Amino acid sequence: MSVTTTVSLVGVGGQGILLAAAILAETAAAEGLDVKASEVKGMAQRGGSVLSTVRFGSKVWSPVARHADLVVATEALEGRRALAMLTPRGTLVCAVTTRIVPGSVLRREDEYPDDLAAAAAAGGVRLLAVDAEGLAREAGTLRAVNVALLGAASTALPFTQESWRRGLAAAVPAKILEVNERAFALGRESVGEEDEK
Amino acid sequence: MGYNRCPVERTVFFSGNEAIAHGAVRAGAGFACGYPGTPSTEILETAARLGGIHAEWCINEKVALETAVGASLAGVRSIVTMKHVGLNVAADPFMTLSLTGVNAGLVVVSADDPGMHSSQNEQDNRNYARFAKIPMLEPSDSQEAYDFLAEAFALSEEFDTPVLLRTTTRVSHGRGRVVPRVPVPLEPREYARDISKYVMVPQYARVRNRLVLERLQALRRRSERSPLNVLEAGTADLGIIASGVAYTYAREAFPKAWSLKLGMSNPLPYAKIARLYEQVSRVAVVEELDPFIEEQVRALGLPVIGKEAIPADGELDQDVVFRALEPFVTLRAPRRRRPVFPPAPHITAPLEPPAGLPVRPPVLCPGCTHRSVYIAMRRHKLAPMGDIGCYTLGALPPLLALDSCLCMGSSIGMMAGFNKALGRKGAAAVIGDSTFFHSGITALIDAYYNEAPGLVMVLDNRTTAMTGHQGHPGTGVRPDRTQGPAVDVQRLCEGIGVRCATVDANDYGALDAAIRAEVDAPGLGVIVALAPCVLTTRERAGEIVVDEERCNLCGLCIDIGCPAIAPGETAVEITDACTGCALCVEVCRRGALVCTGIEDGA
Repeated sequence: MSVTTTVSLVGVGGQGILLAAAILAETAAAEGLDVKASEVKGMAQRGGSVLSTVRFGSKVWSPVARHADLVVATEALEGRRALAMLTPRGTLVCAVTTRIVPGSVLRREDEYPDDLAAAAAAGGVRLLAVDAEGLAREAGTLRAVNVALLGAASTALPFTQESWRRGLAAAVPAKILEVNERAFALGRESVGEEDEK
Repeated sequence: MGYNRCPVERTVFFSGNEAIAHGAVRAGAGFACGYPGTPSTEILETAARLGGIHAEWCINEKVALETAVGASLAGVRSIVTMKHVGLNVAADPFMTLSLTGVNAGLVVVSADDPGMHSSQNEQDNRNYARFAKIPMLEPSDSQEAYDFLAEAFALSEEFDTPVLLRTTTRVSHGRGRVVPRVPVPLEPREYARDISKYVMVPQYARVRNRLVLERLQALRRRSERSPLNVLEAGTADLGIIASGVAYTYAREAFPKAWSLKLGMSNPLPYAKIARLYEQVSRVAVVEELDPFIEEQVRALGLPVIGKEAIPADGELDQDVVFRALEPFVTLRAPRRRRPVFPPAPHITAPLEPPAGLPVRPPVLCPGCTHRSVYIAMRRHKLAPMGDIGCYTLGALPPLLALDSCLCMGSSIGMMAGFNKALGRKGAAAVIGDSTFFHSGITALIDAYYNEAPGLVMVLDNRTTAMTGHQGHPGTGVRPDRTQGPAVDVQRLCEGIGVRCATVDANDYGALDAAIRAEVDAPGLGVIVALAPCVLTTRERAGEIVVDEERCNLCGLCIDIGCPAIAPGETAVEITDACTGCALCVEVCRRGALVCTGIEDGA
């Protein structure tokens, strides 16, 4: 990874992308790193594609980047779309069982892509395929897909467990902190030894 | 005495403002509106006395411009008049109108007031033409004021842009001889719906913005060969660049100088400026107020006498110009330089989405009652003038429910202008509650005063939804979520004198009936479609059950664009996102969808 690490979080409006980005930013800050984050959130609640970018390092200048070292995707089509922004040998952590079908597919003008694994392999991208919905349900709420996925992504990020704990506590409202901590732990555990490099 | 004379019967004696009104009529303008303000006022007063053009005072300059845009869309050449500070009020529609362009020609007249004879400031509105990247014409006397209108309307239609006609007090209120010309023949310009041109949501505005930048380059090429920009030969080693009334001062002060007379002063003709520099070794820019031309000439790398000599404030005249320039023209001429023309700007290429992947634009939420309003409206064939809020999403496929979105509060003025120009109820307005309070009220008062027919739908979801559910005067909710006093939309409309009905937008039958009644009613009416934003209530009104025997996958329910309806293998499927609003039940023609109440235990 370069001196500044870029993580992009992608998904569909309403999936909690902004919260996941806030947790990640707080965690990086807890590590004593410089952090910048940015997103375009005007459409966040209206079911459109959402992109949030978190960059960290010893000194971060620009708040945006066209390419990411790591992408966290809370929806499969958005993960497929985000392959184009991953750097070579980058990692895609994707909620492969979450499919939110866009209107053009509902109307049968488009087809929902089914080639995520092949396209990732072709692009030299490491794919962590996560059943985030299953993990979130196990944790106690389907709304925790974002944080379960972040738990899986944490295995690919250079932060300590303690920093993640502090990041979650800083960004997540107190009354839903416990369920999100559970989702995060389940996500982290779901990545098997064979997945880690 | 040795004067040149011309036959008296062929000429009339007009102020610049009278000449603009007559010139507009001669150019085929059928619609004029504005807000009074010295020195612009007499344009509309004159138009009101002339036949063949409708003239109306509007409640303010913003509504006036939106009204003129509506008339232009309806296919009528339109002119809107205001003083310089009035364009500040109209700046919101003005800036985005540059992106949408026009249908029939549209000319915005800004009458500036150097010297502040009757104004609170002396801002130089030539900057607005550059700011909005639109062409600007500056007449220097009454004849030009008359003649330039035909050119302004022609440019507007050829380049699909509003045109700024900028005058100053001495042009507007000065009087002079005008030779009338034969009327300009017009082609009819029927209204054609064009959502990607007139609905300025981000994905369409980005495309239009690139076209604006390309248009500016094309306009500069036109400016180079425009007969309005004239290089006039002299005998002295002095060249003068000037526009508007300042040109007349310079000609009188330095009759032997060369001059580049700019009738079209935005965008500037760089090559013509360079040609002046081939003729003379000293060039002065004579202009009132800002160094508008001067700074652009300096940017070409050309030496120029400008604001170090010519006063930067107040009015000029020939004596001021002579005294200002005389010490400079006797100085040694500067070394000749070759101009460096700025290269054409790089324009960002459109971002191509990864091939083959479906895009995911934002959509109206499941259960959003804006969707019900659009479904109930669409049978009535009224061009729906839209506004800015969540409901603008209805312009996108599959609903395609709005024809325009210009700026906050623009829908009602555009509807009024459209319907006045057509002479019937051809358009409706769709506006949200927060936007109505932002700047829809003034337009509604204006539509009442000017007797514009039309249907105004206020989509009242009791919040400023798109930006994240902020309060507004209709809800009384403050930033800290405490409750303050609230304004009632219906009582406000009735206080104005406008017929108004409030219906529960969750009751599709009532909504449909109210819209039918108002479409058939004469004159102006408001329907408040009231239902709190579904994101704030998160109430589930019922459950939709699909009768798989009856569903033939015809697609009628899919076409309402609800994210909770998906086509299955043999019948549609309703997803967990469903709120039970039952709009799909209304559009289904086979009775394949049934709504059961939650309390029925379904």
